Order: sequence, then C-alpha cells, then structure tokens
Amino acid sequence: MVLKTIIKATDRWTHRDGEFGFMFEPYTGEECVSLDCEMTSLDPQSAELVSIGAVKVRGSKVITSDRLDIKLQRPESLTGDSIKIHRIRGIDLHGGEVLGDALQDLLYFIGNRPILGYYINFDIAVLNRHIRPRFGFSLPNKVIELSHLYQHKIQQTNPELQPDLHFEKIAGKLGVPIMGRHTAVGDAITTGLMYVRLLQGKIPS
Amino acid sequence: MADEFDTQHPPFNLLTPEQQTKLKSSLDIAYFDKDELILAAGQPSEYVYIILKGAVAETDPTVKETDEEHQGLIGHYAQDDLFGAISIINGASRYNFNALEETISYLIPKAYFQALLEANQDFASFFHNSLAEKTKLLNTRRQQDMGMDASHFMLAQVDQSCMREALVLDNGTSIREATAAMRERRVDCLLVQRGSQYGMVTRTDLLNAVVLNQAPVETNIAEIAHYQLLTVPAGDFLFNALILMTRHQIQRVVVFDGPHLKGIVELTDVLSYFSSQSHVIGLQIERAETLEELGAAARGMDQLVSSLVSQGVKIRFAMDLLAALNGRIIGKVFSHILPAHLHNKVCLLVMGSEGRGEQVLKTDQDNALILADDLEWPLEERQKVLDQFTQTLVDFGYPLCDGKIMVSNPEWVMTESEWTKRLGEWTASVNGRGLMNLAIFVDGHPVAGDKSMFTRTRDWLFQHLSGKDVFYSYFGRPMLNFGTPLTIFGGIKDSSHGIDIKKGGIFPIVHGARLMALEQRIKATNTFTRLEALAEKGALEKEFAANLAEALALFSFLRLKQQLKVLAGQSEAESSNHVLVQELNKLDRDLLREALHLVKEFKSRMSYRYHLER
Repeated sequence: MVLKTIIKATDRWTHRDGEFGFMFEPYTGEECVSLDCEMTSLDPQSAELVSIGAVKVRGSKVITSDRLDIKLQRPESLTGDSIKIHRIRGIDLHGGEVLGDALQDLLYFIGNRPILGYYINFDIAVLNRHIRPRFGFSLPNKVIELSHLYQHKIQQTNPELQPDLHFEKIAGKLGVPIMGRHTAVGDAITTGLMYVRLLQGKIPS
Repeated sequence: MADEFDTQHPPFNLLTPEQQTKLKSSLDIAYFDKDELILAAGQPSEYVYIILKGAVAETDPTVKETDEEHQGLIGHYAQDDLFGAISIINGASRYNFNALEETISYLIPKAYFQALLEANQDFASFFHNSLAEKTKLLNTRRQQDMGMDASHFMLAQVDQSCMREALVLDNGTSIREATAAMRERRVDCLLVQRGSQYGMVTRTDLLNAVVLNQAPVETNIAEIAHYQLLTVPAGDFLFNALILMTRHQIQRVVVFDGPHLKGIVELTDVLSYFSSQSHVIGLQIERAETLEELGAAARGMDQLVSSLVSQGVKIRFAMDLLAALNGRIIGKVFSHILPAHLHNKVCLLVMGSEGRGEQVLKTDQDNALILADDLEWPLEERQKVLDQFTQTLVDFGYPLCDGKIMVSNPEWVMTESEWTKRLGEWTASVNGRGLMNLAIFVDGHPVAGDKSMFTRTRDWLFQHLSGKDVFYSYFGRPMLNFGTPLTIFGGIKDSSHGIDIKKGGIFPIVHGARLMALEQRIKATNTFTRLEALAEKGALEKEFAANLAEALALFSFLRLKQQLKVLAGQSEAESSNHVLVQELNKLDRDLLREALHLVKEFKSRMSYRYHLER
C-alpha cells in the first residue's frame, strides 16, 4: 500500500508536465468510466489482453454512445481454454489495433475519471503491465470496485449477510439485464448499469 | 451490449441499414428509480425513450387525484415500448411520464431523432399517422417480408383445375353444327377427330372459312382444322404450357395422357392461375354441371384462403372474394336441388357471418328460406328437399350450425307474412334468444330465388323499428357482455391460453355496426361497408370509422391465421378464436393493443349513446 502510494507520487512528479499530465489532475466532474477487459487467462502476470471495453457513466445514465470497444491482435497465448471462456476466436481479432495505440486511446478516453469495474484491480494490473513499459507510469485513477460497493450497500441494511458476489447474481438481484456477457463492452455497460442502480435505487435485501 | 437493441421492430425497421447502425451507436441507457418522474408535462423532451426493462405510466397531471387510483392515466408503457417521440415533435410533453417500477431505458438523443425524421419519410410518417395509415404502412412491410409464395405457382401442374374439357366432334360435322355446339358449350375452340388424329378448329378458323373463303356452312369442319397440335403431357408443369404458348404465340395447348386426349389448356386459364387461384375456382363453380364437380370446387377453397393469406392479400378483399364464391356455390346448390318451378317462389338467405360476407373459412352454415305466401309445397316433400340441401352443404365442407339456424330446421323456413310476424315478436322480446335471432336475420343476404321477398321483409323491419329507442338499448346490450382484454394500465391482458379475439374484439365492432346500421336503415350487411356508410351518414366520424374497420381487419387477420393453424393441425381446435399474445411479434402486438383500445372506446360511446348500461 505504502509502495503503491510512493510509486503514484513519483509518477505524478515525473509526468506532471508530460503528454499525459491530465491523468494526474484531481477529478472534479461527476462521471466515471466503466471498464472491462477480456483476457486470455486469470493470472495477472501472464494474461494477455484480448479486448478492452469502456463506457462513460454520468449521473443516472450510461452513455453508451460514448464508448470504447477495442479488439486487439491475437496474442500468442490465445488458447483453446480462453476461447471457451470468452467465445472469442482468433479470427475475431483480426484487424484489431496495435496494443500501443489501443492503450493510448484508452488513456485519453479515461482521463482522470475514476475507473469502475467488477474485480477491476485484476484488469488494472494487466493494463499496467502494458502501460508502464510504454508510457512510464501506472494508471493513477481512483478505483470503484462494484462488488465491494454492492457488499457494502447490502451490509448497511443487514450486516450479517454475506452476499453472493457472482456477476450474474448481482445483476439478477439488482434487476439489471445482462448486456452481451463476455464481450468487454457488454460487461462494461452492465457494470455501469449496476453502479447506477446501486447509487440511485433502493437496495434489495 | 447496446448492440442488442433490436431494430427489427417497427418503426426502426423502416430505417435504412446505415441509419440503423448509426442509431445503435448513438444510444444511451438510463436508469430510473421507482416512481421517478422521467418526463414532466410541459417540459420539452431531450430523448426518445425505448424501455429496455420496467414499466412507465403516462398520466394527465391536470386530473386531480381522487379515490380512484388510476384517474388521469393515459397510457402504460412496457418493455420495447417507445415514448417521448410525440413530445419532441410537438415541442413539449402533454403528460407526465413516471416510472411505475425500476426502469432501464434506451435513449435516442433528440437531435439524432429529429435528423432521422428529416431523412426518412416512412419513419417520420409512422409517428404522424393514425392507426389506419400505420397498418397500411406495416402491411406493405409484411408483404415484403413474407415474399410472394411463388413456389406454389411455379410447381403447379397441368391437371383438372386449370384444364378445360375439350369439345370433340366427329369428322363430317358441318360448320353450322359445330358453331351451334360451341355456342351451347360456351367454348371457343373444338377438336375434330379424323381417324386417330385430332385437329383443332377455333372461332377464328370458322370465321375465316365462312367469311374470307366463302365456304358454305355445310362444309365438313375436318377440312378447315389444323392438325399440327402443340401438346403437353398431363401432369407437366403448368409453367411449361405457358412457355410453349409464349414461344409459338398460340393460345391453346392440348393435353394428352399417353395416347388419350385429356383436355385443353387455354392461355387465359394459365394466366389467371398464375395471378391467383381464385379465378380457377370461379371457373370451376361456373362450369360445374353436377354436384360432385361443385363439391370439388368448394373443397378447394380452404387452400385458396391459405395461398391468399401467404400472398399478403388484404383480408377485406379476401373476404369479399370468398363471399362471392360462397354465394355462387350456395346459389348453384340451390338451383340443383330445389325443383325448378319453385325457384321464383322462394328466397334463400345466407345469414350471420356468411351474410355479412365475413366468413373466410367455412365455419358454419347459417341460412333461411322465405316462401311466397301463395306457394303450395307439401310439408313432407319440402322437409326432404331442404334436408338434402343442408346435407349437400355439409358434404361440401360447410359444417352444421350449432344453433340449428339452417333451412333443414322448419323454424327458419316461413312464408313472407309469417316472417314479418315472427320478426315483430322478436323485436318485442327482451330475452336473448329472440334478439340473437334478430341479429342473425339483420345480417341476412339473399343469394337465390326471388330477392324482392327479402327486400320487402327487411324494409318492413326498418319501418317497424323506427323510433323504438328502447329496442336498440336492449339490442345493443350484448356488446358489453364480454370485457375488452386490456389491463387497467392499458396493456393487453395476457393469459396462458391467449385472448379470445372473437369475443373481445370482433363481436363488439360487428354488433355495434349492426345496431347502428339497423337504426340508420343501411341495407349493406358487410361490417366494413356498414362502417363506411355510417361515416357517410355522419353517424360516426370518418376517421373513427376507418380506424374501427382497420381494427376489425386486424382482428380478422389474426383470427384467420389461428384458424389456418387449427386447419393444418398445428393447434387445438378449441383455440381457433384464441390469439396467444406472446407468440405475436412486436408489430402485431402493438397494433392489437391499439385496436383493442379502439374497441373499448367504441363500446363506451355506444353505451352512452344507446344507454346500454342499466
């Protein structure tokens, strides 16, 4: 934790006046970016990015007209197993953007907004593995973890309860339709909707 | 993802593919909490809302909240429904829109929606049009979707249905005799047999021989016949016959089955077959000389209905066509079975749905007979003949009437003066039976015999009823017997066995039109014609009448689809009037809902006008 803070402070110091200085400004707006990545494995050290989906959330609206949907070139590690998980075949990735350009687009898209996601630290860890060698910093953004928020809200009314934190279960409890599961942008939209629902609506018990 | 937004539903299917793609990428999604005010009255709308999940109520804020919870409720929107469009077009919303439950909705930004209205005429008119126009627009769509059932025609074969029996004369027949025979058989060509060979003589040949070549009328026709006949084997594709005719620029080909002559196929028959089967059936009916032939034609009609429906023929035209064909069949049966000297002494009526000309598939036979007052026809013999008449129709595929409203039932066979007396009794009765009989009689339509007897009886009834307001009040009451299947929120009341479209939709419109027609002395029996006539007389507003007619056409169409399903054995026989809402696509569901709302309005107007509720 301390180490992270030090790294963040150093990053800010080095990049404050650089191309990506805006990423380090404190955020004052009311938006956040719902982010989801599809990856080839569940190990943050070796997982490769397959696709990145991001969509802005503003107030009670998920701004699906302003979104990022990037499919990347087929990484070496796209194997049969992950095809089974995400149903993304090598062929779907053809014509995708080069990773560096993709990450740059992503950085501009996110800016200094908070990042919202479901088990988002894993996605950020993988992203940082690719961002740091190219841009020299890690994502400095504030992070909103949907499952924590959900658990927190549930336990506000019933502290004893240990809610089921599966993605589909949360969506079901909140009455949010699942939009294109296992596509990055679909999951990002669903996450955005669940977030909006948690902030606005009454919490289901 | 938002790509799941379904543009296959109206009105979005009216957009071009590029517009659809653009639309999908300009959508936002919003979440509304329960009871949240989405759009306030008087406010301009920034979006068009399409509900992804949840329910929204449209309420009139000027109506004060009273004890009744749903006072001021205008409409109810559920999944896939769209609102806010009118507010954008008009500049501001007239009513409040509230989320009834947690609601997630797609948003089309105002600017993009307006751009679409500008760019796409069809799309724009969807929002401007009334129900009648909407249905028209969607019907053309539907036709495009289904495509013409061309294969049916392409695969048609040369058989009895399109072939005429050839008139074959012996070698040595004179031109005079041949002409007489052609006239009698009403054909315009004949075959002459010379040895084992057949030659063809057409009217033109005869004309040329007599006029141009000055041949005497006693000339042997074998001398003027052509012997190079173009033939097709029986069972060949009809299309081949057409090609042969086109190639050789002729109008007839002769059909052989091996060495045996089967008949002649004429160009007009082929063309009419390709344009529609109806003409062929008409032809069969006209040419039928025995009851068996007539029966074959009658039984071919269900097939005709299916093909008309799949061709997307407007149900009203299908009804008219079938009513005409049915009328001719029944008329022919009548002239076959009843002794010739009686033909001008009786009048045969078809009644009920058949009398209105709205029976598409043969559901039952409702008919009656008016006898001349001076007719002497022994009861026993009469019963025998009329039983035979009813039985023949049953053989032809017209099922018996459950209510025994048939000529085989002596109650429906009366002399003219007995009829007027009986009608008088019925009008005076307040019980259901008499009024129901009267309703059936009012739809009566004469098909054979002396039609003036019916005209006199009906005019007597009109006269008799004028000014009897109390009668109309009783007569109209059944309209309210069956509830309109709408929920309190205005959605379609859904149940697992579907909604009864006959009771909930068709009957109120038909009966209401019948009642008003009776009052206005409108002689037409068809509900569509009645509605038009009522609009003409100013008894109904033009637009309302047109919308009612469109609603009725929709109900009939949905019912017919269900009936065809039953006929094909894909559905239970009891459910022939039940339409399963969940099986309808969004298009039909929307139209059905709007149509049911019309029925509801019609009922309440009628109830007010004729004091139906007591």
